Amino acid sequence: MDRLGLSKCVLAVLLTVAAALPAGAQMANIDYIGYAFETGGLLPSNAGDELTLVAVASNADPVFEVDLGAYELTFHAGGLISTGEVLDGSTTVIHYTGGMLEIYQDGSQDADWGLNPPNAVSPATFTDGELFFRGEFSSFTLYFAPGGYGTFEGTLSALDGTMIDGSCSDCVYTWAGAFLSGAGAQNPAGYDLQTDGGFQIDSTVATETASWGSVKALFSN
Amino acid sequence: MKTMMKGLLIVLAVAALPLGASAQQLFDFNGQAMMPSTAGGVLTMYSVMYDPAPIDSPIPLDFASYEFTLVVDGVTLVSDGISRVFSGGTVTIYQDAGTAADYTNPATFTDGTAILVGNFTSLSQFVPPFGPGSVSGYLDWVGGARLNDMAPEDQLHWAFLSGTSTTSGTLLPGYDEVWDGKTEPPSTIVDTEAASMGSIKALFR
Repeated sequence: MDRLGLSKCVLAVLLTVAAALPAGAQMANIDYIGYAFETGGLLPSNAGDELTLVAVASNADPVFEVDLGAYELTFHAGGLISTGEVLDGSTTVIHYTGGMLEIYQDGSQDADWGLNPPNAVSPATFTDGELFFRGEFSSFTLYFAPGGYGTFEGTLSALDGTMIDGSCSDCVYTWAGAFLSGAGAQNPAGYDLQTDGGFQIDSTVATETASWGSVKALFSN
Repeated sequence: MKTMMKGLLIVLAVAALPLGASAQQLFDFNGQAMMPSTAGGVLTMYSVMYDPAPIDSPIPLDFASYEFTLVVDGVTLVSDGISRVFSGGTVTIYQDAGTAADYTNPATFTDGTAILVGNFTSLSQFVPPFGPGSVSGYLDWVGGARLNDMAPEDQLHWAFLSGTSTTSGTLLPGYDEVWDGKTEPPSTIVDTEAASMGSIKALFR
């Protein structure tokens, strides 16, 4: 490769990296509230039990361009398989394997948890509409404090959905929240946890159109 | 004996009413907290409330015309560790149509009308070794312009739950944690309904 060819190659790599980076680190959040249930109940969480969580967005960052007055964003996290609970001091820790998170944008606004899930309306009314996001969990862990409350957090790899087109290619997707078990708070019959949390995208940027000249100008100084 | 049967019937009817999805009620909030670094320090949290639809607010709130903020203040850290214990403190919900809430100016969260004022009866925070934390406790509503929108028995023992994060990208300068949570009554609050004696008697025929 001659000197000019090598320079072109380096420039191409630089352009690729520059295009993938956001203009500035950003975090976009969708706030949700919902309920979760696990086969066989929770606690205990036995190896092989499956956790399902269904939720509705109560607020979304404007970057997502979703009018929650006209559409609902519904969440369905399923296929999360417990590896069994482990006691770490006074904390009960449950790691899960597998699992997918789906978010739907739906003008029918029909989300209904119903009772004793799975049932005729749940998860069905959380999985109708247009697929907004689908991701595969790379990790998911639930921490139970002694008082019947706790937290959970999972990381995701994005697969598809209309939202991904408007986001950066190397985003970090996080699904996290707090939960309270049934005692002391409203919980529809058959659900084990009530949850409140956020779906977050790190370094989200909107797509920008730029002329070739303006891109070259970035490297002219 | 007939009276006893009616009493039993009322109990059975109440017990048979399942808690349906439409019966869920809560106040939803998302905010920023300043945490005490040592025991004896005070926790303060400012937040904006959102319409929790399709879940109902425990009392109707006009989100289209007003901004609602929820402020936690005066909560004292008693002991630190993986489970932090707090004491005292208040929760106040403000209704404001004037100044938009701005985290660089906390006074924008405490202007307007205090519609509900509550006292924490307990509050603790779980801080696991990894991931976000969680705050849980209970409160009693004791004041505010809309306190009487709830019957006295509905004002007590509300659950307070929030996720907490020190690493969230939404954490703002000057604050220590992002809080994302809700508070809710122990059972569904129902509005008063006018009914004739005949229609009430018909319920038991």
